[in-house]
Amino acid sequence: MPEQPPVIRVPRPNRGKSYQPHRPVAKNTLLLNQVKHFKELEKGLAAQHQTGIAPEEILTEGQAADYIKRMTLKMHELHRKA
Amino acid sequence: MMENRSFDHMLGALHAEDPRINGLSGNETNPDTTNEPAKVLAQAEFQGQLDPDPDHHFPAVHKQLYFGTQGPPAAPTMQGFVQSYWDQQHDVNHSRKIMYYFATDKLPVLHTLARNYAVFNGWFSSIPGPTVCNRAFAHYGTSFGKASLDIFYIKEPYKSIYERLLDAGRTTKLYYFDPSSSTQEVVNLLKNQPKIFATYDQFLEDCKRGQLPDYCFVEPNYSDHPGDGGGQLLASDQHPDHDVQEGEVFIATIYNAIRKNPDLWKSTALLITYDEHGGIYDHVPPPACPPDGFQASAADTGGVPFAFDRLGVRVPAILVSPWVAKRTVVPGPEDKSKGRVFEHASIPATITQHFIGAYDNRSPREKVAQTFLDLLTDTMRADADCPHFDFD
Repeated sequence: MPEQPPVIRVPRPNRGKSYQPHRPVAKNTLLLNQVKHFKELEKGLAAQHQTGIAPEEILTEGQAADYIKRMTLKMHELHRKA
Repeated sequence: MMENRSFDHMLGALHAEDPRINGLSGNETNPDTTNEPAKVLAQAEFQGQLDPDPDHHFPAVHKQLYFGTQGPPAAPTMQGFVQSYWDQQHDVNHSRKIMYYFATDKLPVLHTLARNYAVFNGWFSSIPGPTVCNRAFAHYGTSFGKASLDIFYIKEPYKSIYERLLDAGRTTKLYYFDPSSSTQEVVNLLKNQPKIFATYDQFLEDCKRGQLPDYCFVEPNYSDHPGDGGGQLLASDQHPDHDVQEGEVFIATIYNAIRKNPDLWKSTALLITYDEHGGIYDHVPPPACPPDGFQASAADTGGVPFAFDRLGVRVPAILVSPWVAKRTVVPGPEDKSKGRVFEHASIPATITQHFIGAYDNRSPREKVAQTFLDLLTDTMRADADCPHFDFD
């Protein structure tokens, strides 16, 4: 029987403790800046394609993710239509 | 490419078992604000210690590197990490946590890969600054003169590695985790080249089918958010204060996806690296490098003159392939005769060299960047010699 490769066990995090979508987005400059970048992109879109979400409404990581999702899908949608 | 962890923080413990790895002796210190030495300690935790996010904008990194000097041309002292973290919360005990590193085997994935494949002693972030400008070097070989997180505009004549590959008739993809996480790369790329993007689920499917493109770049999940089909998705980027263990799961899943497809495994080289150090301690002074033809704005640097002529703090980098000799340690600046210095411009430099060949329209930094495919040998390692990961 051929020798088997070693198997390394990988522990998973405690999701209940680690999952924090309500973490203030202000604590993560990376996410905050990602929102800022998408806001800049949004300014260049026609009014009917804008989300209507003001930057000051995005207070948590989960809200940032929701906004980023809308903008990412919009970018793909507009490119498909172009 | 992961987020915001230094070499010593993640891999420094491995020096104790393999002295060739330029990690920590355990005696490294930084002065705290009471002038007491804060020693490196193997007490890093997966989450909860580095909150707030340690400052890693250019002025803060300047302090981390040059504390106790007037700055360049003096050599970096690496003595200002604790002082810099203290600036954010004015808590002496908390500021000393910036010296913590992960104990051996606390990171089973990264430590296993470092032991089994090639670890780079001298892979540095491209700029002593934050994410966006550093990631730009991985895609463009330059940040076009930016040293900040500011929105980014692509300038001629340098094309992204993706555009170069497509022009040459090659295939390429940039896999982001999902639309809620999207891309941290230059958003202009998403606006102008949406076709090169796909999701992480698609990456896993492409691995299963053996349909990876010639070159791809994989982004982790940057936020905790609900999944499209329900459930809770944890950030896997390892950016403080996200859970480092979820990043371990992410890296292991990518490795397994390639490892389990025999054809893919023998034809793929996987590079795991981090965009920058995230304000966390590393003991190796970043070296100088040839200038990039730009001068950073005073707004980006806090008034410090910067011609993109020195590198940022060292980050973990591991090259994985069955063609890499087991326990390869690529010497860095500690080896005066054989040491090699890599940075993120080494990524497009390597890909261009391998898939395109001669290509002149590249940044000065990319043109002189070290490439790394010479680390692949002529001998493929036996299957039993290459580990698998399994999840608890």
